[in-house]
Parts: sequence; structure tokens; C-alpha cells
Amino acid sequence: MELAKVEALLERYFDAETSLTEEQQLRRYFSEGNIPTHLQAYKALFDELDMAKAETSKQPVSLSKPAASKSPWWYGVAAAVLIGIGVAGYQWSQPQLTSQEQEALAAFEKSKEAMLLLSENFNKGAEDLVLIGEFTQAKNKILK
Amino acid sequence: MNQKEFLSIVMPVKDKLYRMAKRLLVSSEEAEDAVQEVLLKLWKGKSKMKDYRSPEAFAMTMTKNYCLDRLKSKQAGNLKIVHNNFHHSDDVARQVEANDGVSLVFKIMETLPEQQKLVLQLRDVEQFEFKEIAEILESNETAVRVSLSRARKAVREQLLKQYNYGVS
Repeated sequence: MELAKVEALLERYFDAETSLTEEQQLRRYFSEGNIPTHLQAYKALFDELDMAKAETSKQPVSLSKPAASKSPWWYGVAAAVLIGIGVAGYQWSQPQLTSQEQEALAAFEKSKEAMLLLSENFNKGAEDLVLIGEFTQAKNKILK
Repeated sequence: MNQKEFLSIVMPVKDKLYRMAKRLLVSSEEAEDAVQEVLLKLWKGKSKMKDYRSPEAFAMTMTKNYCLDRLKSKQAGNLKIVHNNFHHSDDVARQVEANDGVSLVFKIMETLPEQQKLVLQLRDVEQFEFKEIAEILESNETAVRVSLSRARKAVREQLLKQYNYGVS
């Protein structure tokens, strides 16, 4: 291929107007010897592009998914069971009262309250009794 | 479709998927993982595969989307540091210099935007027709030509800079 034609092709190559066959012609030209110095850079370009196609994937294809790193379904089940046990245990530990027992408990609380009230008033009365002590003292001073 | 039939469709495409994934993700392990993931997805949805005019283009599109998603989530996961005084072309030159000779073109390619990387890979490495590239990239032929031209010119610019630097 004469130089003028190569240069024209290169021009079109960089404008992305060449067809695949024309690009093939360019590759062939640059893969053969006798390339003028001002076109040496393009030789490197086309050589490298050609070489890139030789690279291949080395890993064999495996179509069965390896046991996934994602957490399996039974993690969820295990978590649900644990939560269930926790809730049930809490329920068990709470005292279970029949309605009769609850009634008795309420009555007990009420009577406790009444007793408290009573003792409070009783103490109030007792405070006043201290004054009677004064009388006794005064009487003792006079009547020895 | 049994496993054997599936593999007979997929195996010829596998290397193309790998090369594209590697162009985008750079690391070869990540590229292998991406290919594996995409093939597995294809295998699961294999009944649908017959509906596609070109299973190859479909697989390429899936790989492209998978890789772009990976890149996006990686970027979101990393803290981004923005340099205001970041000189793009200087950086490219330095990067290229550090790797002198060894796949200069691909070092330059790494600095291109994703779309241009993809177009260059599909056209100049895999030699797809413009129509096929447009299908893979879910775009149209004109847009593909425009970004291909930009990508080729960007590579040329950097390459010539390196060559003139080396010669003089």
C-alpha cells in the first residue's frame, strides 16, 4: 500500500469513518516492515490492539452456585425460635392468679390501707397524751 | 436447553466478556468474578436467551452493566478526594512514563471515560460492527462513531506526545 493511501486511511480511522476491512488493511500494513519514522507511533498502537485480543479468561465456568456467603434461610428460623422461647419464658415467670385469688389480694390491700389510716389517727391521739405527763411532774413536785 | 448447549453458546463469548470486564475493572480477578457472575445470571435466565436476536450482544450488555455497577458502588464506598490543582494530561504522562513500553496504549486507555473505553475496546480490540456496538451499548451508531473518534484521537494525542518525548 502506498504511503498516501495509508495516510488517508489513518485520517479516516481517527474520524471513525473506516470500515472493518479498511481497518484490517491498516493493521496488515503496520504489521509488515518498512514503516516510515513519522508513522512508528501508529505501529505501536496497532500492534498493541492486536495483542490485546490474545488475552483470555483462565477461570473455568462453574454453573452451580457455591454455597452462598449470604445467610441461609434457617438463620431466620433459628432467630424466630429464640425470640419465641424468650417471650414464653417471660410469660411463665409471671405469677398466674385465679380470679378468686385476685379478689383476695384486692381485699388484703384494702384492709392494709384501713389499718394504716387507723394507726395514723391513733398516733395523733397518743401525741396529746404527752401533756398528761406534765401534770404528773407538777403533782410530784407538790406532793412528795 | 441443557448445560452443554448453553456452554456451546457461551464459551466463544467468554473471553470477550473477560477482556471487556478487565478493561473496565482493571484487576483480572475482579474481571474473572464479573464474568462468572454474568454467566451464572445467563444460565439462570437461559429460557429467555432464545428470545434475543444475538445472545452474544446480550451477554456483552449484561457484562457492561454489571461492571459499571461495580465501579459505581466502589466509587460510592470510597471517600473521594478532589484536587483542584489536578492536571489531567500531566498525570497521564507521568503514569505512562512509569510503565514505559508495557502496553502504553492501554495505560492511556485507562484514563479515558468509561464510554470511550468501551467503544475502543469493542471496535479496535474485538472488531465489532458499529451496529453491534450500538446494540451492546444500548446507544445508536452516530453516538458510537462520535465517541470512538474521540477515544482514538485522545489515544493518538498521548501516544504522539510520548513518542516525540522519547525521540527528541
